[in-house]
Amino acid sequence: MEDYKFLFKVVLVGNAGVGKTCLVRRFTQGLFPPGQGATIGVDFMIKTVEVDGEKVKLQIWDTAGQERFRSITQSYYRSAHALILVYDISCQPTFDCLPDWLREIEEYANNKVLRILVGNKTDREDREIPRHIGEDFAQRHGMYFLETSAKEAENVERLFMEIAVELMEQAKCKELPKYDGSLGPINGKTTSVGDSSCCLR
Amino acid sequence: MSPMRKIIHRACFVVSRTVYMTCCCGCCSALRPHYKRLVDNIFPANPQDELVKSNMEKLTYYSLTSPEKLDRIGEYLFQKASRDIYRRRHGFVIIAMEAMDQLLVACHSQTLNLFVESFLKMVQKLLESTDPQLQILATQSFVRFANIEEDTPSYHRRYDFFVSKFSAMCHSNHADTVTRDKIRLAGIQGLQGVIRKTVSDDLVENIWEAQHMDKIVPSLLYNMQTAEKYETVSCMEGGGGAEPPARLAEACLRELVGRASFGHIRSVLRPVLTHFDRHELWIPNDFAVHTFMIIMFSIQAQYSYSVVEALMQHLDAAGGHSADPRARTRVRAARATVLSNIVAIAAGDSVGPSVLEIINNLLTNLRSSVARDSEQKETDEKLYQEALINALKEFADHLPDFQKIDIMMFIVNKVPSIQRGNKGTKADAMLQSILLKSLLKVGTTYRTVELSKAFPAAFLEALLRAGGAGEAHARALLQRILHTLLDRRDNAPRLLRASVEYAELGLTVEKCSRQDLIFISKHGYALFSSLYEGLQLESNTMENVEAIYTTLALICIELGSEETVCDILQLILAIQQSGLTNPVLSVAQQCQLQAISISLAALIPHVMMLPRLGEYIHKIIAARREEAPHLLPPLREDYDDLHPSKMPSKLPYLMMDLMALCELLKAAGIEVGRLSASSPYAAGSAAAPHRHSWVEAGAAAGRDSLAELAAPTTELDSANSSPGLQRAGGAGEAVSLEALRRAAGGPSPAERRDAERRRATLNNAFRTAPFDQLLHITQPKYEIKDKLEEIFNSITEEPLLPASGSCSPAGQKSYQQNVPPYTKYFPELFLY
Repeated sequence: MEDYKFLFKVVLVGNAGVGKTCLVRRFTQGLFPPGQGATIGVDFMIKTVEVDGEKVKLQIWDTAGQERFRSITQSYYRSAHALILVYDISCQPTFDCLPDWLREIEEYANNKVLRILVGNKTDREDREIPRHIGEDFAQRHGMYFLETSAKEAENVERLFMEIAVELMEQAKCKELPKYDGSLGPINGKTTSVGDSSCCLR
Repeated sequence: MSPMRKIIHRACFVVSRTVYMTCCCGCCSALRPHYKRLVDNIFPANPQDELVKSNMEKLTYYSLTSPEKLDRIGEYLFQKASRDIYRRRHGFVIIAMEAMDQLLVACHSQTLNLFVESFLKMVQKLLESTDPQLQILATQSFVRFANIEEDTPSYHRRYDFFVSKFSAMCHSNHADTVTRDKIRLAGIQGLQGVIRKTVSDDLVENIWEAQHMDKIVPSLLYNMQTAEKYETVSCMEGGGGAEPPARLAEACLRELVGRASFGHIRSVLRPVLTHFDRHELWIPNDFAVHTFMIIMFSIQAQYSYSVVEALMQHLDAAGGHSADPRARTRVRAARATVLSNIVAIAAGDSVGPSVLEIINNLLTNLRSSVARDSEQKETDEKLYQEALINALKEFADHLPDFQKIDIMMFIVNKVPSIQRGNKGTKADAMLQSILLKSLLKVGTTYRTVELSKAFPAAFLEALLRAGGAGEAHARALLQRILHTLLDRRDNAPRLLRASVEYAELGLTVEKCSRQDLIFISKHGYALFSSLYEGLQLESNTMENVEAIYTTLALICIELGSEETVCDILQLILAIQQSGLTNPVLSVAQQCQLQAISISLAALIPHVMMLPRLGEYIHKIIAARREEAPHLLPPLREDYDDLHPSKMPSKLPYLMMDLMALCELLKAAGIEVGRLSASSPYAAGSAAAPHRHSWVEAGAAAGRDSLAELAAPTTELDSANSSPGLQRAGGAGEAVSLEALRRAAGGPSPAERRDAERRRATLNNAFRTAPFDQLLHITQPKYEIKDKLEEIFNSITEEPLLPASGSCSPAGQKSYQQNVPPYTKYFPELFLY
């Protein structure tokens, strides 16, 4: 049943407690786990979605926000097709750390990686970062921007769908190596965006 | 015929029709490919049941006989399993996986290649599911696959998904701890499998690349560090069965490190160091020590020093993210402690340049630590230095003895020489004392057999040079180094305090060997005169005096023999004399010198069979005990309450007498020629066995130079003693470009001050000293005059150069013209 056309790797980063795991759980399993513990190291989820009638498989690597795991999480950036940088709209420090995160992404990730800034927890009453501040920041650094609520399932589906659509667009015009089911996932899947000349059709 | 045919034809049509229809119904069908039917048959009707064994045998037989079908079988099994995963029929998934395992094991390796692709797709599919049971199952299959040796390498196969996923599993945070441990264990097993599969084959994926190592190594360490008691993991094969993740992680790390070649060591070590920084595992450092021990013991022995090297380079690296300098220093100290724990393991296998490189690196770190230390006061920095010095000691301890000497030479050459007069910076002094401490630590690991081996000429010279300068404490340290190198029979602890009662001490005395005698006859003078000069410094504390006493006592014991006794006694007498006449010494120092000289003299008859000398010494001791107990050991810090009439110089009859000693020795049948000859200590060049000029001696003894002036047998020439005259290189440096340059530049302010002080002391002495003494001092001038006359006479006797005029007698003219003969007679004067 390996009938999907594309495989994309999506990595979530951001400070501890901004809701990365909850976003992933909401998207992949449709639930909001109350009292979710801190992620250790890296967690892995998979979800297949349909874009324009074609199946797209998303490999989602959910990283730990805690600083002590930074070195192992960095090693997952490299092969990512999309990086979702998450902050908590009700917590100024998580927003203040964004430049540090960008520096890390700059250093460890592929330079053509798709970058999305996400302000999570829109359900919270005590908002600290207005929407336009986040938007400004995203625009300045050439990132997509979205505000979400994993709790209310707001914009979560849209977030991942847009990533899938965008990556597929990229794949079609920039010759992203196509995921060819017959060759298997272990075949040349590490080639990153743009460094392969293999055509889609 | 034709209707018959028709019937058959129709029948065939009907059959094929029915077959086609049954196929559509999804039932078992004759027209499906044979392999598909075989595959379908291995599944039981009920997913709870087990694999149908007999049908599985058929499938295996089929794939063995027609291996070309194997890849299609694999693909079909995979598709079935994918569907079953989607429908959550896990029972069938497990059966499909089991079947693939069996096929994998049963089939010949050359046919496996294509099947393996389906197999790995299957494993990945299972790993992607959220069900822990399926993930664990997939890992087991993967491990089974990893243990199969493939003939044909598969260049295109990639393992990065597996590395990523297995690493993620190693960090599992499942709510149920039992399941969590199972998943983590599976993750480690999976990583082990990947390592086994890739490490030996250069053609497949390079597992040593940073992107893999950055995942594998922290995952293993994370599982090791969560173990409660990692000290007890040493027993590897314990209960079998379910191993706790920590134990397996450790075994896996051992395997990984053990397989690393030289070029790959760094790629393993870098993530290890980063992990310790990130997780702040340096303090407390038992886990770090434990881990590095594991690395050291599993690494291929010839590479072990590169671990030391890596850790050393990491000493100074910014620890984690704490900007607090105090915390950084503590981390640094903890790292150094880890280093000192592992460095010994590397020592055994280090050879050649790597040894010196390690030592050099440690010394560099020490130096930068001292530099930091002098900037800001930190006690933690001290801990760091201690740890580094310990590392140095541990390392040296495991080297062969001949290398220890090399290392000591190396260290002693790094000691900054603090010129007398200019005080040197505080940092220099600290560095000096720290390097000497390191030297002492290395020295304690050395077992002296032969003195000549322990003290190669260059080393001895460097040591003595270092000992001539520096702070009192540093000089005492240097003596301690000499103690540890001289003391072959563990006598040093008993000789720490001066004493006259040697019988009670239980010293071990053996006869001195031939080689040692040769050694002392070669280097004795340098050694003795350096010790003598060491005693003449006004900055000496009691610690210094006692340390030199111990050194001399050890020399007596180690080298006491008929050949050396004269030299030793001569030195003792010189010390006694300087204690009377050296005006820079305080009363306490004078008394201390008297005490140690008598106590050394008392040691000689204890070492050698000289009963009459013993009696003589004991008579003096007894007399002193009556009249002047302050001239006997034990030494005291101060002798303030001393009555002027009890000053050592007022009690000449309590001193050892040269003539008496000569007589005693002569009676014992010892050649006393050298003893009765004029003493080389404090004396001019005439008595010195080699060119040890007055200038040098004076410089070495610094402002204490008046001691020489006061010595009775001193030969003075007016040029040297005239205080105002500046001799080039007055500080007594060796001839070097630097020295020449300095000489050309004139005396430095410090030197000028020094000269000033010397002049002042001299004037003072001439003003205050008793007339007799002055007479005595000035006496030799006449000798010089005689000598000059003699020289001039000899010049006239020598045939003159034809060009220099015919027959002019000794006089002004020939004096001016014939410089060369002059240089011949006074080579010293023309040195600079």
